[in-house]
Amino acid sequence: MGVLEVKNLRKNFDGVKAVDDVSFIVPEGAIYGLIGRNGAGKTTILRMIMNVFMPDSGEVLFNGDPAGEQFRERTGYLPEERGMYKKLKVLETILFFAELKGKTGKAVENEAIRFLKEFDLYDRRNSKIQELSKGNQQKIQFISTIIHDPDFIILDEPFSGLDPINTNLLKNIILEMKRRGKVIIFSTHLMEFAEKMCDHITLIEKGKVILSGNLSEIKTRFALRNITVAYDGDVSFLKNEPYVEHVEDFGKSIGIKVTDNKYVQDVLKSLLAHDVTIHSFMSNEITLHEIFVSLCGKDDVEVEIGGKSNG
Amino acid sequence: MASNKTLVILKRELKSRLLSKAFIIMTLLIPVFLLGIFAFQNFLLSYESDSGTKLLVLTRSETMQNFVSKEIDSLVFVKNGYYKVLFDVTHATSVEQYITNRKPDLLGANLTGIIFIPDSALTNKKLKYYSTNPNNNTIFEKMRSPINRALVEMYFKDKQLKPEEISFARTNVDFEGFRVSKDEKIESEGYGNMIASFLFTFFLYFSLIMIGTMLMRSVVEEKASKIVEVLLSSIKASDLMIGKILGAAITGLLQMAIWMIPVVILISTSWFTLPQDFALKMDVSLILYFLYNYFVSLITFLGLFAAIGGMFDNDQDTQSAIWPVMMLIMIPFFIAITMPNNPDNAIAHIASFIPFASLIVMPARMTLISVPGWQVFLSSVINIMVMLVVFFVSGKIYRVGILMTGKKPSWGEIAKWLKYKG
Repeated sequence: MGVLEVKNLRKNFDGVKAVDDVSFIVPEGAIYGLIGRNGAGKTTILRMIMNVFMPDSGEVLFNGDPAGEQFRERTGYLPEERGMYKKLKVLETILFFAELKGKTGKAVENEAIRFLKEFDLYDRRNSKIQELSKGNQQKIQFISTIIHDPDFIILDEPFSGLDPINTNLLKNIILEMKRRGKVIIFSTHLMEFAEKMCDHITLIEKGKVILSGNLSEIKTRFALRNITVAYDGDVSFLKNEPYVEHVEDFGKSIGIKVTDNKYVQDVLKSLLAHDVTIHSFMSNEITLHEIFVSLCGKDDVEVEIGGKSNG
Repeated sequence: MASNKTLVILKRELKSRLLSKAFIIMTLLIPVFLLGIFAFQNFLLSYESDSGTKLLVLTRSETMQNFVSKEIDSLVFVKNGYYKVLFDVTHATSVEQYITNRKPDLLGANLTGIIFIPDSALTNKKLKYYSTNPNNNTIFEKMRSPINRALVEMYFKDKQLKPEEISFARTNVDFEGFRVSKDEKIESEGYGNMIASFLFTFFLYFSLIMIGTMLMRSVVEEKASKIVEVLLSSIKASDLMIGKILGAAITGLLQMAIWMIPVVILISTSWFTLPQDFALKMDVSLILYFLYNYFVSLITFLGLFAAIGGMFDNDQDTQSAIWPVMMLIMIPFFIAITMPNNPDNAIAHIASFIPFASLIVMPARMTLISVPGWQVFLSSVINIMVMLVVFFVSGKIYRVGILMTGKKPSWGEIAKWLKYKG
């Protein structure tokens, strides 16, 4: 399969550092998450991996050599902004993208039909793309991304705009790919997906890598002295407790960092004493969301409302 | 320079274009439209817009009136009633007095004008014309010759000349054009090549703009719908552009070849014969040159269309930015269609070596006159060099442009793109 290495990538747009010295290694057989809020530089990094943008400096290595034609041939790329020829028919669209990756013939056509059946779109194979619903168009685009049986699958914000059913469908396919030994790299600003699916993550903020590594190791590291509580009630008093180092309130859940592990029980007692209804209480546990907020300061949800940017 | 990927793009472009309704309809419609224009022009020329003209020819003597009326009454357009010509003789000392009396007729619809032939016309041939529209060239053209004949006849009447001598004096000179070329014998020239040159120029113009606009639209579509990013993850931008331009160029060439089939049949077979006046004096090699030249034109201009398409992500912005390219096509087009008046004039001569203009002017010139081989060669060299430069510059703009969306770029920014690497 091979190892993909991103090394000291930099890219400026009109003097703005979109990507600033980004390095990470994608190990074999992993689901790799590139996370960060909108506009952090994720899309630019993925575009440089795919050679859509040339980096100002730095390189993308595949098994130690610059990732070139050969790497891209073995890669399926789903850009953030989806697009297909509106007037091309469904099956023709899939076969066109397969041909662009050098795959033609009966075998690939059978594969396309198999996918269409799996996605429940076989009877639409001769419809024009523009006649399909948005969700179905996304399915076709996804099939087009993986039709040539790539070893690497790069998905830019794959879950954005998907309804719950399609989200689930996509999730299962990604996991299935992983079982087949494929490497999946996806970017997302949705922490819960990254948390559930990724083996490794790289957290990008303002074009820089803030955190990178194995997700469970990261969580263990950050979980120490951390308590996550799902609750109802008023928890504002916590800030004033001497053993509380830091509080992040998410409304229905709260992340509390205590100065020492021995104070965990005191937090629980104190919450009960203040008549707070507790739905769950987990010590030495942290969500990716909490890690993200503690590192980047602000809650990403705020930023998300501001409209989309080019990642 | 092109890869297999280019072929994939080329195939798709050809398929989506050749089978598109727009292409099929336009390919059939443009020749019909052009024939329509010629027919309409012919109709305009033959249409008697001056029908209903009422003239009064005023003379000083009955003798002169007899000479003039004999000539005028025998004119076709007088006989069939398009023109009504009355005659009158005045002995009044002042013609102005006569005119003043007829003023109500002139101001009303009764008379279009009065032609006064004084006796002095027999020495200096000077006539006077009184009308509300005194500079009516149509009337002068029509009346000049018969009155001249009458005056000539009257002048020589008492000079004891034979009728043949008078007839000679009355006859105007008549030009017959002969084409002189290096390798052919001198032949008398009809209108065939003139019409062919018009047709070729129109075909070139319509096809260039049509194919160019189609390509530009498709570039904008790929850019606006973000397909281009998927494409670029599989294919280099330059290969993509080559594929698209070649696809469009082959489409255009095919269209032109279809239009040329009747011409080739006319000049290489005897299945149809044109009237002598409209016979085509050319051989198939000119058509081949024309097609080759058109292919070079396509590649050159399509590069420009693709670059403009790559700059913007909507049709409105491209429409407002495309005018310089349109000028590059339209100015030579006008030079080419006005050329039949004098195909060897200095502007046509120079224009056939100017980049871009050469592509449109040279074929029209070659259809009309025999252009020396070195000139054809030189213009070809210029054209191919221009094509390569355009391709290089457009490629740079296209490569950077197709990924820039959102803000409309300024010309200054576009100039900066040329310096970008990769």
